[in-house]
Amino acid sequence: MSIKKSEAPDGAGQSRRNFLRAGLGGATVAAATAGVAIAPAKASENDAEKKKARYQETAHVKKFYQTNRY
Amino acid sequence: MARMKFLCDADRCIECNACVTACKNEHEVPWGINRRRVVTINDGKPGERSVSMACMHCTDAPCASVCPVNCFYTTADAVVLHSKDLCIGCGYCFYACPFGAPQYPKTGNFGSRGKMDKCTYCAGGPEADNTAAELDKYGRNRLAEGKLPLCAEMCSTKALLAGDGDIIASIYKERVAKRGYGSGAWGWKVAYKETIAI
Repeated sequence: MSIKKSEAPDGAGQSRRNFLRAGLGGATVAAATAGVAIAPAKASENDAEKKKARYQETAHVKKFYQTNRY
Repeated sequence: MARMKFLCDADRCIECNACVTACKNEHEVPWGINRRRVVTINDGKPGERSVSMACMHCTDAPCASVCPVNCFYTTADAVVLHSKDLCIGCGYCFYACPFGAPQYPKTGNFGSRGKMDKCTYCAGGPEADNTAAELDKYGRNRLAEGKLPLCAEMCSTKALLAGDGDIIASIYKERVAKRGYGSGAWGWKVAYKETIAI
């Protein structure tokens, strides 16, 4: 009974909850934006990039093949 | 698409270990780890042969098959690489590898293993090409620079060949045809499921 009495909103309780909700929400958004700002630039390659062929038949490589034929 | 392979012409290898030293120096490989090493069989006896061995970048890589965290991947030019961010240092790949390629840094006094390290075919790892992070974790990325693995490039007797598998096989065939003998392409049957028919 007493609980019900205290829960009975007279406006003040409700506004306090809203204040907390808004405060927590704001803090979460702030943390998220700070996280985005602080996060370092991603150095890792994506799946396609890391599996791409890196071998190139450059003049340097051709010279290697040529000298190995001697 | 070129398929990257290693070929050691055992009849030319003089066991100078320069490939081992060059690899360690180029990639700043820590103490106790050799990505490449020279194995000598019948040492001091007639028929002695030395073979420079490292990760052969197998076609159906056994290391990748047993990895519990799936940290291995094969590039379009058939280089087998791995992510040290995913590796848990379990050691399964070491037992699976027919060439003993995976190595582990000692991280503590009680036998704890660090992240696996192996030959990258001088192709770095999953970090962006030629960045400080890639150099620190995986070593130099010479392939992205238009070069080949340093071990092969600086081999004084040209025993160690690297590059497009078809081209290095043709170079080896020419040599065998010219000198009249050859001890075969060591490791090719195991790694690439093929031999070089002369």
